[in-house]
Parts: sequence; structure tokens; C-alpha cells
Amino acid sequence: MRSVYLLLPALLLLLALPVSRGRYNDDFDDGEDLADFADDNDFAEFEDVSEDTAAEPETAPPPRGAPPAQPAEDDEDEATVELEEDGQEDGFEDSDTQDQDMYSKYDPDEFDGMEKPSQSLKDPLIIHTVPAHLQNSWESYYMEILMVTGLLAYIMNYIIGKNKNSRLATAWFNSHRELLESNFALVGDDGTSKDAVSTGKLNQENEHIYNLWCSGRVCCEGMLIQLKFVKRQDLLNVLARMMRPVCDQVQIKVTLNDEDMDTFVFAVGTKKAMARMQKEMQDLSEFCSDKPKSGAKYGLPELLAILTEMGEVTDGVMDSKMVHYITNHADKIESIHFSDQFSGTKVVQEDGQPLKLPETKKTLLFTFNVPGMGNTSPKDMDTLLPLMNMVIYSIDKVKKLRLNREGKQKADKNRARVEENFLKQTHNQRQEAAQTRREEKKRAEKERIMSEEDPERQRRLEEAAQRRDQKKIEKKQMKMKQIKVKAM
Amino acid sequence: YRTRQDEDKRRLNCYPPSTEANPTLEDPTPDYMNLLGMIFSMCGLMLKLKWCAWIAVYCSFISFANSRSSEDTKQMMSSFMLSISAVVMSYLQNPQPMSPPW
Repeated sequence: MRSVYLLLPALLLLLALPVSRGRYNDDFDDGEDLADFADDNDFAEFEDVSEDTAAEPETAPPPRGAPPAQPAEDDEDEATVELEEDGQEDGFEDSDTQDQDMYSKYDPDEFDGMEKPSQSLKDPLIIHTVPAHLQNSWESYYMEILMVTGLLAYIMNYIIGKNKNSRLATAWFNSHRELLESNFALVGDDGTSKDAVSTGKLNQENEHIYNLWCSGRVCCEGMLIQLKFVKRQDLLNVLARMMRPVCDQVQIKVTLNDEDMDTFVFAVGTKKAMARMQKEMQDLSEFCSDKPKSGAKYGLPELLAILTEMGEVTDGVMDSKMVHYITNHADKIESIHFSDQFSGTKVVQEDGQPLKLPETKKTLLFTFNVPGMGNTSPKDMDTLLPLMNMVIYSIDKVKKLRLNREGKQKADKNRARVEENFLKQTHNQRQEAAQTRREEKKRAEKERIMSEEDPERQRRLEEAAQRRDQKKIEKKQMKMKQIKVKAM
Repeated sequence: YRTRQDEDKRRLNCYPPSTEANPTLEDPTPDYMNLLGMIFSMCGLMLKLKWCAWIAVYCSFISFANSRSSEDTKQMMSSFMLSISAVVMSYLQNPQPMSPPW
């Protein structure tokens, strides 16, 4: 037993050696004898402490028990538990616990001014949580992962939507190509080349809008076909369409030469479309003032309504073949609009009415809905072919359609009325514009006179201006006299 | 059926240039999204808000998806690059993950 007691301090000193070396490097050499070291070091008087730890491994001193109870890191926990369990040899490996025992046994008076480390060790250890970005786990970045996933989903949807729209457009073109090429000399022109050269393919304006310009046919100047698909490439749009379904549309605009169409304005389509167009379209609001009539009178389905300038026009347009076409494909027709005064939608200007009547063009407009309500497949495009036949038929028909004398007179009266109204409305504005122009002229002249350096020329210019003003006043007086004489 | 007479009467007209004005009026989405993207990326950069920068990335993607083919790709690329740089700068300055608002 005594040999063990002697051996233990030696081992303890061995362990303490690196610690003390750190502190007293200058004092000790490497090759010093252990015995000398044992005599000289400060811990020589603490030999009792080592005996206690060796003799009674089971009764671990309380201070040692305190740290394991704290929420320490796992390593330390294991170390201290091991110490308790194993006892002798392991007890020396942890020099901290050794120090605890040593300090609890020494005389407190010897260490005035130094705090009792055991006290601070008795306080609970607060281990702060490691900040999220220093943790080695991707889970804390779940928001970022969500965002990136969303972006990837958007990109996937873009590619899929773009391809679907492209396939639908190609399907439409393939089914209509033969008909168009037999009727038009020029099919497909993107406007880039100076000469009208047929490209033979659709012009892609967008990921969801495709254009086709056809020209070179008798009776018409040209035909612009716009395939307006829904925005399948935009995920937001796809989600919005889940709430409110929208159709793909095919819009056809045929512009006619002046001699190819008589003067009339006519429209037929769904009730909703007719109500909207009557408000929005310049020509429909001016010439077709009556509310949309139901199409049942002419043999059309209930859901279609007619806007017309006069009854004779409707009778002329709605012949049996047209009725047949429209009735068979009523679900696909959104609106059909024939007009010789077409100028687009009503232009809302900030500074009152525009000074000039908008330019008009003889136009036939067709808007067709693609069946499927957004969920179309390329096969559905074939069902639009009869409608294209109807368009061609309409072009020929409009060329042949002529109003009788009465109708013509009415139409001319209407147009004159519209023009007069417009002039009246803009009368004040035109007067104001003329007044400002006159004032501008006077001001410019005055400036010119002032800026003349030569006083002689200045005087002469002033006199000339005065003479001109005098003449104008005389003229006006003469006019007033003439009017008075005429009135009398 | 085309006859000799018809062929003489037929005239070839070029693609009308007038449609250029309409697309801009009809669908302002790409322009709005572009502007919104730029605003959000500036907010994200200046105020160091991560969610602003992410929304800016989304806005520039939406603007790209809705854009017309005639539109300048430089504009699109610049807004995209700006939003990416906003995201990167926000994370360099503060590598902590984004916390949800709830």
C-alpha cells in the first residue's frame, strides 16, 4: 500500500509536468530529475490530495459530481462519468478535477484576493446555441431551399408551357396551310425584308402570340392572323387560370381595299362580347346605337347577339350559308365585326377630344375561341378549319354585298351626322388652337422687330405690322356690314 | 380558283408595321415586373433584406417569361443580374438563413 502511495504522487507529478512547464519554462531544463522536480514544485505539499483520489474512487468528491450534473457537452460528461466509475488511473488524467480537490483542502488564508474557483464552477454552465449558419446542417436553410425549389418549378413550367404553345401553333398552321396557300399568294411575312417574300411559317412575337400575314388575293389588301394563346409559360398565369379559366383565341383581321366594301357597320357575337364591344369600339358606339339584338330572329343560337347599323345590313350579311356556318360553330365564335369605319378602340385623350377624326379602314374582324378552355390539344386545331372557310367566304360575300338606294342614303346620312357631331365637339378646341396660333405669330413678329438692330429698319417693320393690323380690322368691319345687309 | 385576270388584280402587300404600337399597350406585365424587380433588388441591397432580394429574382424571371421577342435582351439580363447580385450580397453580409415572418 505504501508503495502505491509513493507511486501515485510520482505519476501525478508526471502529469503536472506539462502544466508547470508551460508556466515555468525558464526555470526548468528538459533533462531534470523527477525527484528534484518533485521537491521543487509548488504542488509538493498537495500530496495528500493524490492519496484521497487513489484510495476512495467510489466516494467521488461533491465538486466533481457537480459538473456532470450541468448541461455540459457530451465529451466532458463521459470523461467525468468514467472517472467516477473507473477510479484509480483515470482519476489522474483530468488535472482539472485534481485541482478542484487540491483547492478545497488548502488553507483559504493563503490565497487572499483570489476567487474560489470552485464557486464559479458550482454556477450553472450556460451553453449558448450555436448560430444557425455555423451549424453543419442544411436543415436551417429550409427557406432558401424552398425559394430555389420554387424557381426551379417556374423554369420547368416555362419550358413545358413554351413547348405546348409552340406545338399548338404548329398544329394550327399545318391544318390551315393548304387552305391559305391556295387562297393567298403570300403566306407569312415577318416584315423584316423590304420585298414581300413569302416565308411560309408563323412569326413568333412572344412565347404565347404567333402572327401570320397573308396577302395577295383579290378583294382584300391582306389578312393578319394572330394566334393568341394563354400564357402557359408563366407559372403565375397558370395558377390564375385555375381560378378563372381563359380560352386560347384566334384573331383574324382582314383589311379591304376601298372599292371592295360598301358602307355599313355590323357585328355578331356572344352577348357579353357585343356589350363590351359596343362600349369600347369607336365605330360600333357611333353607328350602332341600339342595344344588341338576339340572334334568334335570324336563326342563330340564343347565346349570340347582333349589332347593326340598319336592318337591311343584317339581312344582307346573314344569308343562309353564313347562318349555317355560325350555327354549327357557335361555341367557337367570340365575335365577328364588319365595318367600313373601323378605327380601333375608343382613344381616351387627356386634353379633351382629338382634333382630327381618327383614320378609318375597311375591315373584317373575326375572333374565335379555341375549344378546350385552356386545356387544348393539338388535335383541336383542326376544328377551326371550317371557320377559316367562313372567313374566306365572308371576304367574297362582302365584296358582292351592296346596299340598295335607301340603305345607301341612310348610311351616308349617318356618316355625315357623325362627322358633324365630331366637328361641333371640337369646334371650341379648334378655335382655341387657331387663336393660340395667331398669337404666336404676332409674338414672333414682335420679337423680330425688337431684335432688329438697325433703328431705321425697326421703324419700317413696325409700320408694316401696323398697316397689316389696320387692314384686318377693316376687313372684319366690312364682313359685319355685309352680314347685316344680308340679314336685312 | 385563280385566273390570269385574278393574278393581275392581286397585289402583294407587306406586313403592316402598325402593330408595333399595340403590344406595348395591351400587356404591360413585363415592364411592370422589370421595374418591380429593380426596386426590390435595390431594397434588398440597401436594407439588407433577404426576402426582398429573393422576390426580385422571382420578378425578373416573371418579366422574362412574359417578355416580347422584340424586346431588348440587355434590359432583361441587367435586371436579372441585379437581382442575383442582391441575393448574393445579402448572404455575404449576413450568412444566417432567412427566417420566416411567422
